[in-house]
Amino acid sequence: MNNIQRNHWAYAVFVVPAMLIYVTFYLVPLFQSLQYSLTQWNGINDPVFVGLDNFAKVLTDDSFWISFNNNMYFVLFSVFIQVPFIILISIIVSSVRRFLDFYKLTVFMPSILSTASIGVIWQFIYAPEAGLLNQLLRTIGLEHWTRIWLGDEATAMLAVLLTNSWQWTGFYIVLVLAAIFAIPKEMLEAGEMDGATGWKKAWLLTIPLIRPVIVVTLLLSITGAMKALDIILIMTKGGPFGSSEVMASYMYKQAYTLSDFGYANAIAVIISLFTALLALVFHYINVKTREATE
Amino acid sequence: MKKRLLLLIVAVLATMSALAGCGSNTPADSNAANGTEQGGKTTEDVKSFNMVLRHIHIRDTAKKSLEILQQTVKKTESDVPGLTFVLDGVEDAVNRDVKLKAEMAAGTQPPVFSLFGGADTRNYSKAGRLLPLNDILKELGIADSFFDLREFTVDGQIYGLPESGYIEGFFYNKKLFEQAGAKVPTTWDELVSAMELLKAKGITPIAMGAGSGDGWVVNMLVNSMFVALGGPKLQEGFATGATKWTDPAVIETFKRIQMMVEKQYIDPNVLGLKFPQGQANFYTGKAAMLFDGSWAVNAISGESSTVKDDTGFFRFPDVGGPGDGYINGGWSNGYGFSATVKDQELTAVKAFIKNFYNQENQKRTLIETSQIPSMKGISDVQGANALIQTIGEAQGSAKGAFPAFDSLVQPKVKVTLEATMQQLLGGKIEPEKAAERMQKTQDEANAESK
Repeated sequence: MNNIQRNHWAYAVFVVPAMLIYVTFYLVPLFQSLQYSLTQWNGINDPVFVGLDNFAKVLTDDSFWISFNNNMYFVLFSVFIQVPFIILISIIVSSVRRFLDFYKLTVFMPSILSTASIGVIWQFIYAPEAGLLNQLLRTIGLEHWTRIWLGDEATAMLAVLLTNSWQWTGFYIVLVLAAIFAIPKEMLEAGEMDGATGWKKAWLLTIPLIRPVIVVTLLLSITGAMKALDIILIMTKGGPFGSSEVMASYMYKQAYTLSDFGYANAIAVIISLFTALLALVFHYINVKTREATE
Repeated sequence: MKKRLLLLIVAVLATMSALAGCGSNTPADSNAANGTEQGGKTTEDVKSFNMVLRHIHIRDTAKKSLEILQQTVKKTESDVPGLTFVLDGVEDAVNRDVKLKAEMAAGTQPPVFSLFGGADTRNYSKAGRLLPLNDILKELGIADSFFDLREFTVDGQIYGLPESGYIEGFFYNKKLFEQAGAKVPTTWDELVSAMELLKAKGITPIAMGAGSGDGWVVNMLVNSMFVALGGPKLQEGFATGATKWTDPAVIETFKRIQMMVEKQYIDPNVLGLKFPQGQANFYTGKAAMLFDGSWAVNAISGESSTVKDDTGFFRFPDVGGPGDGYINGGWSNGYGFSATVKDQELTAVKAFIKNFYNQENQKRTLIETSQIPSMKGISDVQGANALIQTIGEAQGSAKGAFPAFDSLVQPKVKVTLEATMQQLLGGKIEPEKAAERMQKTQDEANAESK
């Protein structure tokens, strides 16, 4: 095998195809996007160079900042509500002895459905008249709580966030559960003998021991929140009046509804930079807190 | 031994890449699979050739339209020796906004394709992708046979031919009107009192689904109202700067919409419903009126409808303005042809136009698909749906037709009006502010297009 490593041709045979794919489908589009972001282009006629105009436009575009804030809600909701909920449920389910497989299967089910189906199912749940949620509220006498969930500025974004969590919570629970079951029994038993039981055990033993998986879950939730597009397009199309728009759906609208591909590319560049920045900040916090606990 | 192993690995990889390449080397396969090839000659018979025809009749409700197209295709194939059409059905929004747009950018559009008039036709013709049809129409003797080709005409050249047309107005439920003691309104005041009577009976006066991405639904009503109040010239001046959105007619329109929302004449759930849901509320008898285009006839006469025999139609009532008597109507969707077609393909295009755009097919369009013909001269309407006949009468009695405002303004203005009207429906903006925002967007769009 050493011979292969020393043979440059063999290297080329293995590396070149992957490099070609990487360059064609990643680097070229990335640089093209950068190039188009400096132009005014309707997607058909020749692009006209406009310098940094598109980026300057972003700064004063209120609708873009609404979508930016919505992405932030998405991230904060994932990190501070969804992930703690996932850990809580995983710890509870891990101590269940009977029907464990049943619980696992039930919570995992939504993540195998396509986002399109989930969007449509939840649209029915949120429907104003025949919707399950409003009907339920009426049945238990809370008629004044009924809302036009997806058509009201105050509730549309929250309704989408809940649907998105419903879809992905099960997937992460199964991930965290696997990590909990991988903790050596001896460790937990030793902890119990030292007096760590119940929530104490969870807080002092289980959570620190599954930390790497929690970090992965957080990272996946953040990048997932930044990428969110399909669920918005299916459920609200950014409506009512742009209040549930996220950056990706706003970019899509600029490109395919308004034919402003130059501006859409500028937004794409900003999304990439911002996601990279967020990942860096997350990495920094992760390293710092790990150092502090060690 | 190690050398042999290395050779073996290289050989396997080479074979795999060679095999992977095979998939895209057969023109016939790729032609059928992606539908974007411009057709080519097969080696066996130089005379035979394929042509892709992109259409949008893929829904169950468009079965009859597809049937007419298929029969035309068969006839054209028998007229042009060697020709085989490859029918490529794509959902209309996907074709219009994504697929055709990408093909146009790359210059790989199919020879025959579904095309929209207005901005689409202008952009594609500027890029030199569309075949000018003036000479072909003259040759076939149908140059003056169409009602209106304005939306497909750029600088005097005709680039597309509409398949059918539409008009917009109020569909109403005769039974519910009778129950409430309301009569068919011919003036705005009569419309308001009809809505009041219906509401007093606990009936939702106007069904509408304008939530999510369907803000355009309320704009149909808004469009007819501001043209009635301000005249058809009003909307023609927005893009040139001759008229403004802050015109008293537009502000008055926004005020009237606000009033209709506050008094709950429009379904209070309007922002929670999409276009088809609003339509369904009308054709299942839950609301008394629906402001929609003539395309709604298929849904209203469809299997799930409970109001098939009780639906009537009236045009937007008179308001005492310069636009009274005009009706929103147009011919904006049809077929375009690639500028790259040559020789045999050009002959096929001519034969297709001759076989598709004729009196026989236009009559079938009216009778079988309940759509308004795009060509003049259909006098015998026996067998047509009663509702489409009423619509035809409304069209016939109108002073004239005006196109939808969105074919006259920039896409940005259209989208802003959708969001602004959703805000008005949600009670989040005042009419004056809404008008100011519209004018600001219009000014920006006008500056960009200079």
